[in-house]
Amino acid sequence: MPKHSRTRTRRWFRLDNAALIFPAIMRRHWNNCFRLSVTLHEDVDPAVLEQAVKALEPRFPTMFVRLRTGFFWYFLEQIREPVRVQPEYAYPLTHMSRSELRKSCLRVLYFRNRIAVEFFHSVTDGTGGLIFVKNLAARYLSIKYGLEIPAEDGVLDPGEAPRPEELRDCFQECAGPRAAGGAEEKVLRLRGTPEPDRFRHLITGVVDTRALLDAAHAQGVSVSAFLAAVMAEAVQRRQAAECPPRKWKPIKITVPVNLRQLYGKDTMRNFALTVNIGFDPRDGEYSLAEICRQMTHQLAAEAVPQKMSAKIAANVNPQRSLALRLAPLPLKTLVMRLVYSARGESGGCLNVSNLGRASVPAVMEPYISRFEFIIGVQYTYPNNCSVLSYGGRTCINMIRSIRESELERLFFSRLVELGVPVEIESNERKD
Amino acid sequence: MYCVKCGVKLPDGAGACPLCNTPVLYDDGAAREARYSDRYPAEQRHGKFVLLALLTAVMAATGMICLILCLKTYGRASWSGYVLLGLALAWIVAILPAWFRRWHPFIFLSVDIAAICGFLVYVNGVTGGHWFLPFAFPVTLLLGAILLVIVALMRRVRRGRLRLTAVLIICVGLSCMLIELFEHITFGTQMFLWSLYCVSAFGAVGLFLLIASLIPPLRAFLERKFFI
Repeated sequence: MPKHSRTRTRRWFRLDNAALIFPAIMRRHWNNCFRLSVTLHEDVDPAVLEQAVKALEPRFPTMFVRLRTGFFWYFLEQIREPVRVQPEYAYPLTHMSRSELRKSCLRVLYFRNRIAVEFFHSVTDGTGGLIFVKNLAARYLSIKYGLEIPAEDGVLDPGEAPRPEELRDCFQECAGPRAAGGAEEKVLRLRGTPEPDRFRHLITGVVDTRALLDAAHAQGVSVSAFLAAVMAEAVQRRQAAECPPRKWKPIKITVPVNLRQLYGKDTMRNFALTVNIGFDPRDGEYSLAEICRQMTHQLAAEAVPQKMSAKIAANVNPQRSLALRLAPLPLKTLVMRLVYSARGESGGCLNVSNLGRASVPAVMEPYISRFEFIIGVQYTYPNNCSVLSYGGRTCINMIRSIRESELERLFFSRLVELGVPVEIESNERKD
Repeated sequence: MYCVKCGVKLPDGAGACPLCNTPVLYDDGAAREARYSDRYPAEQRHGKFVLLALLTAVMAATGMICLILCLKTYGRASWSGYVLLGLALAWIVAILPAWFRRWHPFIFLSVDIAAICGFLVYVNGVTGGHWFLPFAFPVTLLLGAILLVIVALMRRVRRGRLRLTAVLIICVGLSCMLIELFEHITFGTQMFLWSLYCVSAFGAVGLFLLIASLIPPLRAFLERKFFI
């Protein structure tokens, strides 16, 4: 249950189990954040957008928060001042500094006909973020055009108070009796020339969802497994071009699993875990069909409630330990940093995060052209990929903090080879 | 419009494929609509200035406390003069350059040399010594000049830095002999009492680096073993 102090006017919330790690591991120029955006058919009116943001505050109390430091834990505190909307930057997910997080953990941005919300990951995950952005778009459209939008397809009733289950840390309820253990195998680490000014290159491949589904079904796998397999193959082709076979390392793709579907929860907090799936090229050459089979079997084997509960228990048990709870925050931060450095990002080469298909009430559809999902790069690997479909088109966003676009080229040109036409957009700057 | 190499569809007006940088030869003349704005986040530097202001305040407070204590005890600024000027010197050398966005080596190093000379003049005057002009001044200038040459060369020269470092280390060793010569002239001490040790130590290190710079496999081995 969220802690609610009645003596003070501001509500505050404990960080959920997955959120605990993000403030501890953030660095001076990096932290874990992601972005969801909705593109309209007309230019965005900032004044109306600001009204829409304000209207959402009572319905989403866990979103309008700032990061605060306690003696033993970080926590989220509701903000009193309304979140200001601001014009977008030249690249997505510009760094959220500590001082910014102390004011607000989310940003609302606009550029031409696009509304984007950037979240610090301690607040929510992709699914929670998508619901928030859908509701933001709904409020914007209802203020601007006077639409009556029904509470369906993820759009919530703005007059209704938030339900307790929306604010709950579901990890605590779903931890299994036994904690999963064992370090994962070290995998290939992607490298490149970092951008000195921390510019984030974004290449968006827009594909027809039907063509993508057909290509995935031709391999007998889901879209998530198919994209992860094509990405793994692209990573292996890059590895083969860059180093001799004796130096090859296993290829694994980190795929987030939405636990809401597995456990039947509908929290607005973080409730996702990742699984690392892939193949070892040192065992011999794999065809795409074989990689697809590997991926889909591994995903099916890992993404079951029993295994996920064991993984959750491994994360939740330390949080329940009295000794750890009594340790002051700097000590906890140090331990979490060390654990994260050793194991946090070593299990995968990059993320392929598929949020699936976004749908909105029919009355909103004529106003919306696209939903997009972008996850930031990790601290130790420079590429990430995120996917979201809407209206028969799928946006595959590949972000990178390095100059080289070889992985993107290999990935998208392979999709074209597989019969999925790709339309490319980018934020490349003129040097 | 499609990329001839990757086969992907490109946005109207794209000059090159974002994936492989292959230029679009047939420009359809369409204006390209930017996907992102040209607004860049401002560099956040407030934290640095707060820290610098804090350090300056701490140093100023330390100096003032020393001065007040000294005046109360002796009725004049005796030992507190050293503290005050020492703190001022430390501020000029360490804190002053940090206030600026760019480090201007020649300006800051010249200011540092002047400040050191000023501090030494004060000590010379207070102690009633006669060593500043014949010894401290030329030695400070010599060391400052060496430092300026090192910085200038390191900034200008892009290739052969190891060789340059080797030569500079040997030069630093040789300059020790010059310092001892000034010492001999000013204080009448014995010549070649300590400088020979410096010359041999710096010379050995310099020669080793010179040899390493001339033998690429040895250089590669050293780089592999001792990278930071």
